[in-house]
Amino acid sequence: MAEAASSTIEKNNLTLKSSYGDEFVLEESIAIQSVTIKNMVEDGCSSSVIPLSKVDTGTLIKVIEYMKMHSSTSSNEEEIQNFDKEFVRISIKTILNILEAANFLDIRSLLDLCAEAVANRIKNKTPEVVRKIFNITSDFTPEEEAEIRNETPWAFEGDLDHSLD
Amino acid sequence: MALKSIIHEIKGVGDNVDGKSKKQAEKKCVLSRGRSYVALERLTSSPCIVVQESLWASLPHELLLDIIQRIEASEITWPARRDVVTCASVCRSWREITKEVVRTPEQCGLLTFPASLKQPGARDCPIQSTSTFQLYLGLSPALLGDASKLLLTAKKVRRATCTDFLISMSKDDFSRASDCYVGKLRSNFLGTKFVIYDAQPPCNLLIQSSGMLYKKFPSKRVEPKQLYGNHNVGTVPYEVNVLRTRGPRRMRCTMHAIPFTAIQEGGSAPTPATFGEHAHCNSSLVSAVLNREIEDSICSCFDEPVKTIKKHADPLILRNKAPRWHEQLQCGCLNFKGRVTVASVKKFQLVASSGTSQGVPITEQEKVILQFGKIGKDIFTMDYHYPLSAFQAFAVCLSSFDTKPACE
Repeated sequence: MAEAASSTIEKNNLTLKSSYGDEFVLEESIAIQSVTIKNMVEDGCSSSVIPLSKVDTGTLIKVIEYMKMHSSTSSNEEEIQNFDKEFVRISIKTILNILEAANFLDIRSLLDLCAEAVANRIKNKTPEVVRKIFNITSDFTPEEEAEIRNETPWAFEGDLDHSLD
Repeated sequence: MALKSIIHEIKGVGDNVDGKSKKQAEKKCVLSRGRSYVALERLTSSPCIVVQESLWASLPHELLLDIIQRIEASEITWPARRDVVTCASVCRSWREITKEVVRTPEQCGLLTFPASLKQPGARDCPIQSTSTFQLYLGLSPALLGDASKLLLTAKKVRRATCTDFLISMSKDDFSRASDCYVGKLRSNFLGTKFVIYDAQPPCNLLIQSSGMLYKKFPSKRVEPKQLYGNHNVGTVPYEVNVLRTRGPRRMRCTMHAIPFTAIQEGGSAPTPATFGEHAHCNSSLVSAVLNREIEDSICSCFDEPVKTIKKHADPLILRNKAPRWHEQLQCGCLNFKGRVTVASVKKFQLVASSGTSQGVPITEQEKVILQFGKIGKDIFTMDYHYPLSAFQAFAVCLSSFDTKPACE
C-alpha cells in the first residue's frame, strides 16, 4: 500500500509511520520542522515511508498537529500562543511522550514547550508524587532519606500539591 | 541523523528490555528503509528499545537536565527553592543532576542547600535577610506569615566566664552532636571580644584533580574521631570606648577562614561543596593566618582549645565603614539604602579594611560586605555579600546582641 501511495502522492509529501505501524502523510514543508526528518530528506531517504519507531500513534498525532499549526501561514502569533497553551493541557505522561518524541525528532520549539510544561507541573509537588509521576523507585537508603528531610525540613512542609497530574 | 539522537538511542539500550519490545523492535527493523535510519536501527537492534509507557524511569539525562534547569531558573524568589530541593530528593540520579544545575550563592545569589550557608555570598547583589535570633531569608514570618525560609537559629547560653551563641539550622536542636549544629559565637567576659567557631574545618574543599587529599590540621591538636570540632574562623573585637561618648560601636573582624586575596580581582573564597563533610583539605589552599597577638588573647580568654591554622596568606579584615558627614543634619551618616528604619546602637556596616600591607581596591573599600540594622522591635535586617557566608555573617551580627557595657 505504501508503494502505491508513494507513486501517486506529490513529490513534496512524506509518509511518517508510527511505532504501531500507522502511516501519516504530511507535506514536506511541514515535516522538516523536525531536524531529524530534514536531515533524512537531505540524505535522500524520504522517497519511502519514514519509520518513527520511537513514536507511538497517539504521540505522533499530537506532534503532527503541532507542526501543522506552527507552519500554518494563516495563524497569527496570538493564535499560536493560545494553541500552545491548550496543547499542553494534557496529562503529564502524554507531555513526557511528546517531549521524548520532540527530542528524537529534534523539534526545538516543541521540546521547549514540553520541557517548560513538565517543569511547571512538577512545581509544588512532593518528592513522592514526582516519583509516582516519573515511575521512579527511590534508591536512597532510609537513612539517606531521613537525612535529606532533616537537612531541609521546610521543603517538605506547607501546602503541597499531592495530585498526580 | 543528528548525533544527539544516536547517542540518545544508544544510551537507552538495555534500560527497558523485555520480550515484547524486542519482538516489536525486530519487526520494525524489517520495516525500516531509510538509509541512515536503517543503519541506526541495526546498531541498536538487539536488544532494541521502543518507546513505551515504561520509559519514564529512564528519561534521557539531557531532557531531565533541561527540565530541572527550568525549575531552577524559575525559582528565584523566596520562600522558594522548594521545588529544586524536591527534585534533589527524588532519587540519586535526580539529585546528581540537580546539584549540577544549582550554582553556589557566590554565582547566583540564591541559597538552596545547607552547604550554601557556608559558601560565600553573591558578588554583585547582597543577599537580604531578616534576623531576630532566627535568621530568615526574605521577611520574617512575623511580617509575612510562613512565607519565609528559616536559615539559621541561635541560642544564647550564659556561662560563668563568657557567653555562647550556639548556631543551628534547626529551631530547637542545639546539641553539638546534631546534624543541624553549625557552629557558635563565644564572647569574653566583658563582651568586647568574640570568636566565631565553625563546627567544620574552615575549608573543606575537595580538589580531586590533585589526587592527593590529606588533613592539613596539625594532627596533635585534632582528635581523629571527634566529629564536631571548634575551628576558629573569625574574631570580632570591639573597640573599647573609654571616653563613653555616644556613637556607633566600632569593631574589627578578622575572618581567619577567608584569605585577604578573596576580595582582590580574580580571588576566590573557600566554598565548601557539602554540608557536614569533614576535614579534607588541599595543601595548596590558602586559608588563614592567626596573628600572634590575637591567638594569645584568645588562649587567655577561652578555656577550649583553639585549633588554628598557620598559613601564608593574610586573613580578610573587616572594619566599620566610616560615616559621611552630613552637612544639613550636622552628623555622620551611613546610607543603609532603606534597609534600616529604626535607630539602634547595634547597626553597622562593614567594609574590607586597608589596614594590611596589600592595598584594597578603592571600589572594594566602598563596598559594604555586611550590613546589619534594625527595622522593628526585635526585627533586624542582615545583608551580606561575597566573600562572607551566611553563617559567618550571622555570627558577626549576633556579636552585636551581647551587651557591652565597656563599649557604649
